[in-house]
Amino acid sequence: MTNDPIESTVKDFILEEFLPGERPDALTADTALVTEGILDSLATLRLVSFLEKQYKISIAPHEVDPEYLDTLPRIAALVRSKLG
Amino acid sequence: MRSTIAVEPLQSVSWLRQHWHYGAVLLQLFAIVIVLRQFQIENGAFREVSVLAFAGFAIHYFLPMRYRLPFFAGLSVTAAILVLGFANGLWLLGFGFTLLGICHLPLPMWVRVALLCGVGLLAAAAKLQWIPGPWSQAIWPILASMFMFRIVVYLYDMRHEKPSLARSISYFFMLPNVCFPMFPVVDYKGFRRTYYDADEHQIYQTGVDWMVRGIVQLILYRAIYFYWTLSPGDVIDPDTMTQYLVANFLLYLRISGDFHLITGMLHLFGFNLIPTHHLYCLSSSFTDFWRRINIYWKDFMMKIFYYPLFFRLRKHGEVPAIIVATMIVFALTWLLHSYQWFWLRGDFPIIWQDAVFWMGLAVLVVFGAVREFKHGRSRTLGTTQESRRDMVLRGLRTVGVFLAICVLWSIWTSESIVHWISIWSFLWRGIPDGGSPFPLLLAAICVVVFIGAVIFGRESAATQFIALGNGFRLPRATVETVLLLGLIVPVGLPQVYTHFGADVANVIVSLRSGGLSRADAAALERGYYEGLTRVNRFNSQLWEVYMDRPAGGLMEVGGSGLTRLRDDFLQTELARGYRSETKHGAIETNQWGMRDGMYTLEPAGNVVRGVILGFSTVMGWGVEQNETFEAVLEERINRRLTEISDQRFELLNLAVPGYRPPQQVMALEEGLKFSPDVVFYTAAGREQWNTIKFLAETVSKGVEIPYPDLAALLAEAGVDSDMSETEVLQRLKPHDDTLVAWVYDRIAQRCMALGIRPVWIYVPPLFPTAEEPEEHERARRLAQAAGFEIVDLSGVFDGRDPASLSLEEWDRHPTAAAHAMIAGGLYEAMAEHPGDFGLPGL
Repeated sequence: MTNDPIESTVKDFILEEFLPGERPDALTADTALVTEGILDSLATLRLVSFLEKQYKISIAPHEVDPEYLDTLPRIAALVRSKLG
Repeated sequence: MRSTIAVEPLQSVSWLRQHWHYGAVLLQLFAIVIVLRQFQIENGAFREVSVLAFAGFAIHYFLPMRYRLPFFAGLSVTAAILVLGFANGLWLLGFGFTLLGICHLPLPMWVRVALLCGVGLLAAAAKLQWIPGPWSQAIWPILASMFMFRIVVYLYDMRHEKPSLARSISYFFMLPNVCFPMFPVVDYKGFRRTYYDADEHQIYQTGVDWMVRGIVQLILYRAIYFYWTLSPGDVIDPDTMTQYLVANFLLYLRISGDFHLITGMLHLFGFNLIPTHHLYCLSSSFTDFWRRINIYWKDFMMKIFYYPLFFRLRKHGEVPAIIVATMIVFALTWLLHSYQWFWLRGDFPIIWQDAVFWMGLAVLVVFGAVREFKHGRSRTLGTTQESRRDMVLRGLRTVGVFLAICVLWSIWTSESIVHWISIWSFLWRGIPDGGSPFPLLLAAICVVVFIGAVIFGRESAATQFIALGNGFRLPRATVETVLLLGLIVPVGLPQVYTHFGADVANVIVSLRSGGLSRADAAALERGYYEGLTRVNRFNSQLWEVYMDRPAGGLMEVGGSGLTRLRDDFLQTELARGYRSETKHGAIETNQWGMRDGMYTLEPAGNVVRGVILGFSTVMGWGVEQNETFEAVLEERINRRLTEISDQRFELLNLAVPGYRPPQQVMALEEGLKFSPDVVFYTAAGREQWNTIKFLAETVSKGVEIPYPDLAALLAEAGVDSDMSETEVLQRLKPHDDTLVAWVYDRIAQRCMALGIRPVWIYVPPLFPTAEEPEEHERARRLAQAAGFEIVDLSGVFDGRDPASLSLEEWDRHPTAAAHAMIAGGLYEAMAEHPGDFGLPGL
């Protein structure tokens, strides 16, 4: 269970949109969402769309990359870097 | 002191425990070296680079981390010089460092891009030999494979980070690249990010696993290519159709096998790269297929083109943005493949087959992508069970996608639209003799794919483990590696495989080297006469052969003036009084249109005269006139006869390049004008295929068949004059022996009626196809039944490396040495029964 509110929100979104029926504790901070194929390109774009709407941020094309989106902590770090 | 003695053994045990993985990896690498040699995987350069890489790994393992990347960079540079030679290696590195240097110039990005484009244009001009230079043409495909796509990724990523020199050198010149003109588009960020990002022993073992997987795929590729591929003319019913489509698609194993070898090798140096392919035969949708096949290419296109386009277009709506971005990505994929082909072969093909394939796949992917975007798709973390209904539906979808991809792939690889339509012709013309309406193979393939999808289709690319007890577990891939190496290494040893009988041994021998399939052997031969055939399939062995072929190699017969056209069944003949110089010697024809000395129409009284019917080898393509086996035999016989009598022997060479068996029937009539005592008919292998191919071409060209009995046989086979060549081939295939028998009977009967002895000589091909032994045996029996004297030179090249007896890699005509061996074999055969040849004194 993560204490980070951003991670928590993103995790809920991913579970609801892409992993319905999966156990929430199976999605951890270490789960490699992009490199293990859980988030393909289309799912990644939907995630980006969600993050931009949810946090009123703008994500650049080069940030659609495992470096920024592969794990929950990395996604949260990206969002925080945009929020300032 | 006591404590020092007590500490030492503990340190040794600890060192062993820490480094036993190292020993295990080295042992597996040693086994891989053996397999690479046994099965001649890839080429000699790759096998040398492998030894360098594995030896480098042995040292690299003990280096402090800060030295490892520079060491790898140095090893990569060394490999370039080792493979290309010192001078060309330096040219390659020089051009490469120039391009790298431009990337780092303190100039605006658009200026650097413009400079790179300028240098690229100069390189293209050098590739086309518009700009002469001291470098070998061999460097261009390698330089291109290193830079043409990776420099785009590099520049893209450079905007956000500054690479180190060692990393940049490693990225562009990475070790195995110098052996592979086709190389995965490794992402720069991925290359950097995955460097030692996990336990190093795990990374090394993954590398070994992938290399073994690659080797298995390459051996499977050979088996499919050599034994299972069909030409369109072989497709006569649902099962041959299935075999044609599926085998054609599975030739892609060549690419995925190579990519596994490459990325596996990179793992040995800490680059924990993602897989290049993931079970692409088990895709449950076209979008899924795009995600699983050549993942590096997909990621490259997504990063450089798709995401920037999507972000730019999404203000018009996300779904329209997906559609337009996807279509553009596939159009660019098509274009970039042609761009890649330019650097490999020097032309830029824009052909309908590529357009249909890529844009057809684009439409299918777009439909799938829009559907997924709106409705999502099933994903798993492994904690939920798929329902039986969903599993069956997924399996059925996978079968459908697999078959559809095979069909689409067949369009991509077809020679022409007529060829492609011909493979379906049995659907409206009916199944010819020898075919079966029952799609048993199709059903079997569907079942295999369905089961594969159910068991493996939902697997992620994450590592799967096998528990071995006592809490010990190994990655499944590693268990497979150990088992496969344990199987392949001994099976590849002659001391082992010869124990399994001749058939199994022959199969293993054929898998140990890369021969041409029957279709490609025929295409290579056609290439001598019609110029370079359309060899643009990266997965063809023939493509490899043509890669090495210089522009304007030994002159092609078609455009040289050596042959001229005729309006009749013969269709071609040698020009009279022709002369040309080639790099293998002069080619001259006499007043009769033979490549031979001067002969009178009638032989003198003491002369025993023979005529020899044949094709390019018999004519002596690639050797001097006095080096042909015909000339060598004639000279040797006369030398012997001079010692014992005043008898002379003349052998008139009536061979014409490109002549196939039916043409020899008419060519015989030309030979009979010279009053021979003996007629030698030369069979070169693939007698059946060459016979029906010639007849199919003749019918489709509308050339009149001057032999009523032959025309009747064609009519009986269901041949129609409005059929395409491929359709005629399909009709004639079940009757190939009958048609060869017609040729042999015709020639033998004609000779015997005139008191002339007919002799059937078999000259084996230097590189036989898989079907050759069986076809040869059938042809020999037919010749014997027709009444020919048989001279079978099957073993004449035994014990010699065929490559040393052929002119070039891309021209498999025999050398002068091979001609001498044929002449020797013929002489021995004639000397055993000299009376049969009218030469009792021999």
